Amino acid sequence: MTLLKRNPKAPQAWQGNLPVTSRYTFGLGGERFFRAIKDEGKILGTHCPKCERTYVPGTIFCERCLGKLDEWVDVGTTGNVHTFTLLYENYDGSPREEPEIIAFVSFGDGGIVHRLGEVDAEEVEIGMEVEIVFKPQSEREGSILDIAHFRPII
Amino acid sequence: MNERVAIVGVGWAGFRPATPELSYKELMYDAAVRAYTDAGVNPRRDVESFVTVAEDFHEGVSIFDEYVPDQLGAALKSMQTICGDGLHGLATAYMLVRTGQFDIVAVEGHSKASNLLTKDEVTAYAQDPVLNRPLRFNTHFVAGMEMNRYLYETGTTRAQCAAVVVKNRFNALANPSAAYGADLALEDVLSGPMLSTPLGRREVADHADGAITMVLASEQAAQHLTDIPIWIEGVGWCNDSPSLESRPWGQALYTTQAAQMAYRQARINNPLQVIDFAEVDDIYAYKELQTLEALGFFRPGEAGELTADGFTTPAGELPVNVSGGSLGWGHLFEATGLARALEVVLQLRGEAGVRQLEDVEVGLVQSWRGIPTTSGAVAILSN
Repeated sequence: MTLLKRNPKAPQAWQGNLPVTSRYTFGLGGERFFRAIKDEGKILGTHCPKCERTYVPGTIFCERCLGKLDEWVDVGTTGNVHTFTLLYENYDGSPREEPEIIAFVSFGDGGIVHRLGEVDAEEVEIGMEVEIVFKPQSEREGSILDIAHFRPII
Repeated sequence: MNERVAIVGVGWAGFRPATPELSYKELMYDAAVRAYTDAGVNPRRDVESFVTVAEDFHEGVSIFDEYVPDQLGAALKSMQTICGDGLHGLATAYMLVRTGQFDIVAVEGHSKASNLLTKDEVTAYAQDPVLNRPLRFNTHFVAGMEMNRYLYETGTTRAQCAAVVVKNRFNALANPSAAYGADLALEDVLSGPMLSTPLGRREVADHADGAITMVLASEQAAQHLTDIPIWIEGVGWCNDSPSLESRPWGQALYTTQAAQMAYRQARINNPLQVIDFAEVDDIYAYKELQTLEALGFFRPGEAGELTADGFTTPAGELPVNVSGGSLGWGHLFEATGLARALEVVLQLRGEAGVRQLEDVEVGLVQSWRGIPTTSGAVAILSN
């Protein structure tokens, strides 16, 4: 409780809130990307031959030349930690005793942000080679949460 | 067309962690009236167009621009709200004057952060809803990962980032408007709790409430209104690819591009030679170092060492965030860019009180829209 709320003489205020619910359609690119995760346990990117860049997750356009992309490529499920952090706050700002270990792992010229598991926090470093651990196929729903976490390759 | 545009009036109110006695409208009204008085204009008669910057989720209402005209004197006048930082608003107001359609334009930015009771969730709502938000990470993780990569690529240290906190919060002690002035030792910053490694809790600006209004005028109108017009020599803005998956993690290229746009207009080739002082992003301490390099003042990896050596203190060769910055003033949401511009205006007018810098002619303002954005703006001002 803030000091303001504890003070009975605090100025009056009205409190309001709003339930916000939206649907976010995956689109053509997202549909293909998440289907490959769900059905095949694969990470797909799209290649722009003109710019020589591979977008991961795959998108249907190149943000550099704005050309349409239709060359889908399997980029594998291992990559390197490009950057990482140990996060000590929850979604709502409340503190965490044990940090979340989060990494951005490079695939192609893009990558994926996710949790890093099966690892001691002190051992994580930039450049470390990791692989994707998918949830069992029966539990996958076609979302980023079909990835359980990354884990180091031993 | 109006070739030159000047800032002829500034007004501000608040700059406190909370303003429980005021509504956001009253806060905006306070700042606006001060700016109009400072400029010597009657808003109902003289100000021809109005710009404000706001984000609906920060305001707690939909279509916020419906809530703006009355308290600024803009009812039944040309006005617009843009979704950007205060510097984007300044750039828009500048362009309105440049068109020649308007001679006097007001721009406003404000923060009533103390009224937003679920800040972390609102910020998290800016994360990509499909790729990132389902993971339910506090959005500070973006800053933690960016800082980690920045340190890795440049060899900058955590202690050098902490030196930014020590400097800016000490600077804030000389700024009567700043809420978070403090005399800290490096160790006080480094020994604080971790937020998102390598980022410590004490390297993050706390929020504050405040409102700022500025009055811009064409050269002709400015000559009638003031003896000390502050000229806008250049403005630039830029957004990088916003996705966490395709952005460069170590550098702020959007700031580099925004600066180059502003430098071109202001005909600046060597910023360190021409620019006397700067007010730049420091919502997270490492951002000040990354930004100074992106602006071309220093090469990548130099800003940390130079900061630790005192190069950017008020007595140094390039004073940075003499106001105290966001770390000292508080994070003012979209008003942040205008708060930085305000300090540059006051310094260039010679009205900065005990923190007045000597012989300053050109100042740079830079601002970033905060996590998880890759959006920045730059303005060059001179007296």
